[in-house]
Amino acid sequence: MTQAPGVHIKGSAGFVAVSLFRNLDVTVGAGEWTCLLGVSGVGKSTILRLIAGLETGAVFDGSIETSDGASLDGRVAYMAQQDLLLPWATVLENVCLGARLRGERVDHARAKALIEDVGLTAHVAKKPHALSGGQRQRAALARTLMEGGQVILLDEPFSALDARTRADMQELAFRLLGGRTVLLVTHDPAEAARLGHRIVIMTEAGVATVAPPALAPPRPLDDAGYLAAQAALLQRLRVPA
Amino acid sequence: MTIADQAPVAPVVDEEEAARARKDRIHRVAKWTLPSLVMVLSVLAWHLYVTLNEVPHYILPGPLVVAQSIFDDWGLLWPAMLTTTRLTVLALIFAIIGGVALAVAFTQSKWAEMSFFPYAVILQVTPVIAIAPLLQIYMDSAFGAALACAWIVAFFPILSNTTIGLKSADHNLEDLFTIYGASRWQRLRYLAAPSALPFFLGGLKIAGGLALIGAVVAEFVIGRAGTGLGLASTLLEASYRFNFGRLYAALILISGMGVVIFAITSLISHLALRKWHESAMMRER
Repeated sequence: MTQAPGVHIKGSAGFVAVSLFRNLDVTVGAGEWTCLLGVSGVGKSTILRLIAGLETGAVFDGSIETSDGASLDGRVAYMAQQDLLLPWATVLENVCLGARLRGERVDHARAKALIEDVGLTAHVAKKPHALSGGQRQRAALARTLMEGGQVILLDEPFSALDARTRADMQELAFRLLGGRTVLLVTHDPAEAARLGHRIVIMTEAGVATVAPPALAPPRPLDDAGYLAAQAALLQRLRVPA
Repeated sequence: MTIADQAPVAPVVDEEEAARARKDRIHRVAKWTLPSLVMVLSVLAWHLYVTLNEVPHYILPGPLVVAQSIFDDWGLLWPAMLTTTRLTVLALIFAIIGGVALAVAFTQSKWAEMSFFPYAVILQVTPVIAIAPLLQIYMDSAFGAALACAWIVAFFPILSNTTIGLKSADHNLEDLFTIYGASRWQRLRYLAAPSALPFFLGGLKIAGGLALIGAVVAEFVIGRAGTGLGLASTLLEASYRFNFGRLYAALILISGMGVVIFAITSLISHLALRKWHESAMMRER
């Protein structure tokens, strides 16, 4: 795989009468996990959708640049809170969806290997309704990996999972997405403190970069630096500076 | 470890569960036996009413007379039933083709929808019985005119349901397809069409019954001119002749056809959706 690019987004966005964010300046480091932390409704997902090239409904005045200068088209993969699996297709068909839509020859061996990586080999022929929430997100992760996109946009993909499954999924995703540029949008300070190489906090007061804990992510759940960072982040969310 | 892994039959552990299993079994049997019992009792009551009160057969024939009629007039009823069946099935097939094609056109082009949807509604709300005589004048073949009538009645639910269905794809999945750079055709084929399937099948169930109703109405109006179409014409003719045994025989065959059409469309719907759609999946409660 070629080197994953960094992404730099700056500018302002808003609706006709309401400003969503102003003077944003966020750098998503190449090959790193950047966590964008904020409460609901602050415009986090809009940033992600802007990078993904999706309709946002807001007017964006600014620029999105990559560190290698090339366009992001076709290099982005996306995972959301909803698993976004086609309910009528099997796990394998869902994982192969992107290749099928591009009219490429589907590499079934690779798809099956990725499904094995996420631990769903026994469920390869099942439809999404037969899987648990955690399994569905793992299938979505396998599909994201299958895409081979170098910039991965994660929109609260773990927020609907129970605590144990979430911790497992965070580690699995971190391991499997290693080397790619990841932008994780989350409202959970613990998630940002655990996974971010960079942590960007977004509040009504504006956007600020926060120093991450000293240990490299994913940080152990009992790490003092991680716990302190989590508390500090929550504090900043509650009382914007 | 997972819901799916635990799914295989759990052993019956306590009395409460045994009672529930017993109740389920009784329900399954009762689902068939109760309606059958009601049918037998009604026919028996009908028979007793007719024989005890000596009701003349030209007012209400008894079930035995009707059964005898079905048997004796089979040579007449069977071809008539084939004609009505052909009419209904063809009308339904054309309704599917027309309804789905128009629904696709509507969802692909707002202009097409704006231009033509009001006329689809007008076609639907104008009573077919008022259009039938006109069709009879303008079309040479009585069968063709009757087919057009039945089609008009049957196509709207398919058009309406499929249009809603094609528009109801999950918008998050729409985003995913945008990121994958899917073409318009691919969106239709891989996202909109499967999303629309449950809606289409719902429309199909309604349209199946309506196609039969349309066929019967058309036969009443068009078959009257001595063109002798199907079961409904036979029924009408029998009423003129005061042959009430045959009239009831034709009536029973028509409603039997309706039940069969409903059963077939329900089965198709069940088979198409049982693997993935909420409406058809078996859930443990």
